[in-house]
Amino acid sequence: MELPIYYPLGLGALLFGLGLWGALTRKNAVRILMFIEIMLNGVNLNLITFSRYYWQTSPETAARAPILTLFVMTVAAAEASVGLAIILSMVRNRDVVEVDKATLLKG
Amino acid sequence: MSGQFWTFIILAVVTLVSTYRMVTAPLITHAALFMALSFTAVAGIFLLLQAEFVAAIQVLVYAGAITTMVIFAIMLSGLRDIKQQQQQGERVKLWRTNPAVLVVGAVFAAFMLYLYSTANLPAGGGERQVVPVKAIGMDLFTTYVIPFEIASVLLLIAMIGAIILTAKEAES
Repeated sequence: MELPIYYPLGLGALLFGLGLWGALTRKNAVRILMFIEIMLNGVNLNLITFSRYYWQTSPETAARAPILTLFVMTVAAAEASVGLAIILSMVRNRDVVEVDKATLLKG
Repeated sequence: MSGQFWTFIILAVVTLVSTYRMVTAPLITHAALFMALSFTAVAGIFLLLQAEFVAAIQVLVYAGAITTMVIFAIMLSGLRDIKQQQQQGERVKLWRTNPAVLVVGAVFAAFMLYLYSTANLPAGGGERQVVPVKAIGMDLFTTYVIPFEIASVLLLIAMIGAIILTAKEAES
């Protein structure tokens, strides 16, 4: 593997930073969920990168990194489905999709 | 430089540009399509890092299922929003957004890059045998069978919760 480890790690960090920026910039709730998915994707990229470059320390446990990534993806899918359901019920009941207009609990 | 390096550079540029366009796209449907492109490019990087199983799951779950679900949610929720944004036609520019928010993202990325540059990381991964999917399945269904079952119960609960949240009240 000639590719230095810093390139995929840096890509993961940049993905997380871009997702954080987008999630804090945009006000549409669906967009915010999309950026949370992007951030989790950056985390997965870091996990896979470390498993690729540190495999020599324990080659017999090389299958654990894909399993951990699989669990991250499972939680991401569950979170996206429940989040989108909450957004849909918010649109249906209160007719807002922007997070700064859902101010029922604001003091 | 090797073909591996240039493949990574191309995929990384596609990922970053599509994620940036996802932030700046005026139409939310375009943002969803850019998200699918970003996920697909990251799946290519997973292939480059010899994680075929994760790449396949990435394409199936992220580029397939989650993108479809997001587009469903957009179509069900934000038709009024889509039309309004089309009339205004405004694009969020990098320099027009809230600078504090941009600083948060940039500081996080810069901090992580600084940590990586100072850490004692291995120079190269060496040649590795590809982890077979059979080994992943063996580990998943023996050592990690309890987390696996918890994850499946979590998915079941999420599905039931989504149905209950979105179902119309029954006429009673």
